[in-house]
Amino acid sequence: MRTIGFMQAMNEALQEEMRRDPSVYVLGLGVHYSGTHPSVTAGLIDEFGAARVRSTPVSEAAVAGSCVGAALAGMRPVAQFSLADFVFCALDEILCKAGKWRYTHGAEGGMSLPIVFLETIGGYVSAASEHSQSPLALYAHAPGLKIAVPTTPYNAKGLLKTAIRDNNPVVFFPHKRLMGAQGPVPEEDYTVPFGQAEVRREGRDVTVVATSYMVTLALEAASKLEEQGVDTEVIDPLTLEPLDTERIVESVRKTGRRVVVDEDTERCGVGAEIGMQVVERAFDALKAPIQRVSNPNLPVPYSRPLEQAVLPSREKIEKAIQQTLAA
Amino acid sequence: MEPASEQLLEIYTNMVRSRAFEELVISIMPKGKIPAGWMSGVGQEGIVGALSGLREDDYVTYTHRGAYYFLCRGSDPGRILAELYGKRTGYCGGKGGRHLADTKHRLFGKSGTIGGHAPIAVGLATAVQIRGEDSVVMSFFGDGTSNRGTTHESMNLTSVWKLPLIWVCENNGWAGLTPSSMSTAYTDVADLAEAYSIPGRIVDGNDVLEVHEATREAVARARAGAGPSLIELKTYRIREFAEGGWFPTGYRDPEEVEAWKKRDPIERFRAVLLSRGVLTAGQVEEIQQKAVEEMQVAQKFADESEFPPVEDAFTDLYA
Ligand SMILES: Cc1ncc(C[n+]2csc(CCOP(=O)(O)OP(=O)(O)O)c2C)c(N)n1
Repeated sequence: MRTIGFMQAMNEALQEEMRRDPSVYVLGLGVHYSGTHPSVTAGLIDEFGAARVRSTPVSEAAVAGSCVGAALAGMRPVAQFSLADFVFCALDEILCKAGKWRYTHGAEGGMSLPIVFLETIGGYVSAASEHSQSPLALYAHAPGLKIAVPTTPYNAKGLLKTAIRDNNPVVFFPHKRLMGAQGPVPEEDYTVPFGQAEVRREGRDVTVVATSYMVTLALEAASKLEEQGVDTEVIDPLTLEPLDTERIVESVRKTGRRVVVDEDTERCGVGAEIGMQVVERAFDALKAPIQRVSNPNLPVPYSRPLEQAVLPSREKIEKAIQQTLAA
Repeated sequence: MEPASEQLLEIYTNMVRSRAFEELVISIMPKGKIPAGWMSGVGQEGIVGALSGLREDDYVTYTHRGAYYFLCRGSDPGRILAELYGKRTGYCGGKGGRHLADTKHRLFGKSGTIGGHAPIAVGLATAVQIRGEDSVVMSFFGDGTSNRGTTHESMNLTSVWKLPLIWVCENNGWAGLTPSSMSTAYTDVADLAEAYSIPGRIVDGNDVLEVHEATREAVARARAGAGPSLIELKTYRIREFAEGGWFPTGYRDPEEVEAWKKRDPIERFRAVLLSRGVLTAGQVEEIQQKAVEEMQVAQKFADESEFPPVEDAFTDLYA
């Protein structure tokens, strides 16, 4: 199988879906740029023209809300927002319009809102508090949205295709540190389903559930601990709504020990939710308290050592695994 | 070009129906059947003149105030009222209440945030433009809503993209308890048009024919692909901010209200139609009677409708 980059994988998904369905269009800052610099939207304007590859002003609320309007009129917009940090300016549009209008207004008319919001997340790039956020829990907290968190070029392409074909609003979160990843991606058309977690590493002793770039760190921690004879299972949910709770619970029933790794601030986070799902469904199977590795409710600082201190790391994950094993 | 007599009568009839609906809601309010507030459009029925220039395949985004949008587009007042009651037969099955929608008539929902419609209107117009259709979008907003960032982002974007959209500001001088003079740096909302390089026009919002004429021109322009316009209707909210008794009163000069009552858009239009012989005194009576009867039927329908079963609370979140 050929190897391509994460961004190219997303780019191919957009290109192929735009060819397949004339109602798909993309919009966002700078999407008209078609130079040699790699980007998710590179080259699209050459094939599809400015009507379907719409460069926007710095108007996140208008852009996000326009996706809702266009979807109401039968289109399938894909908004490229670059960083999730900027989309706080458009939360009313995404959380309250995209997420709620079908339920509130549109069941009778079969209203559907097929929209994809692309929001890059994550720290580890010395970008400080307003360019490093991973606000997954914020979106997971709101009804009516689907949430995809890709981790490899393969699942990025497949999940993005599923997102574009889905009749609901999907928030799609690539991670800054994963955008440069390379990986095997087939040439032929395929999709990756929502709601099916991927077991990235099988193991017997402890279950680590991690999202986004945290999967990479968890796999590194697992490799390290293997040297000490610890057999770690790493589960990558891929989508947080729908969430494959069954697969997670099944794994915990096998290992009896659980660590959740989440780059977002810890309080009321995705880790708390996944932890509670396990407590509700498999409390009896737990041999030790669940451990969380997250940002301890701090803004992400700029300086390397400070950022390392705040965000999850391979070492912190190793330590959490050891703690759950020692309990 | 003056509309044909038939259209003049239709405009008048829809104004009377809109007022009759308001009067019905006002009469029901003290009975507690509507469990929340309603923002009355009494005095702002000149808006009918804007709506009457639209085709069925055009789109409208609307404000929180009044039922004219719905009644002009063909919605059933019984189903509107049923929705306000929270009944299953309402347009949103009781999930929206005054956040009304009638998707069949391309009225897709009322934003809970004022100014939330502006970006949605941009998107509707974007869809039209991408598909090369000749529908237009008419997007209404209040003067208070003109202060929202979404309004400005959206106006700019419609101009940059040359979208088929008509911005219609219903300037009633007040945003809740706050007069424009305390909140708005520009005296005329239409002045924003200059900043966004689109045609802007101020009209007497209580002169339905002037409203009709101005919006018709803007609609024709948008339909021809020449881009958006902004029309400001100078009008006034006769009732308090909301029906239902929960909103403060006494913040306006009663003389101001009385002065505007004398400029009632329905009375003014009726006088014009009578003097031109388009309308007879008999027809006036008949149109009024019919509107009242229509609202009685609506009330009976809403009264007799069932509340939704509780299971409905758990359906239709995802498509
Ligand atoms: C974003 C937001 N802020 C505040 C409100 C509460 N609110 C509802 S209507 C209104 C005033 C609107 O004034 P205007 O746009 O002039 O319309 P009018 O009520 O005068 O018709 C306010 C502040 C809201 N719905 N949304």
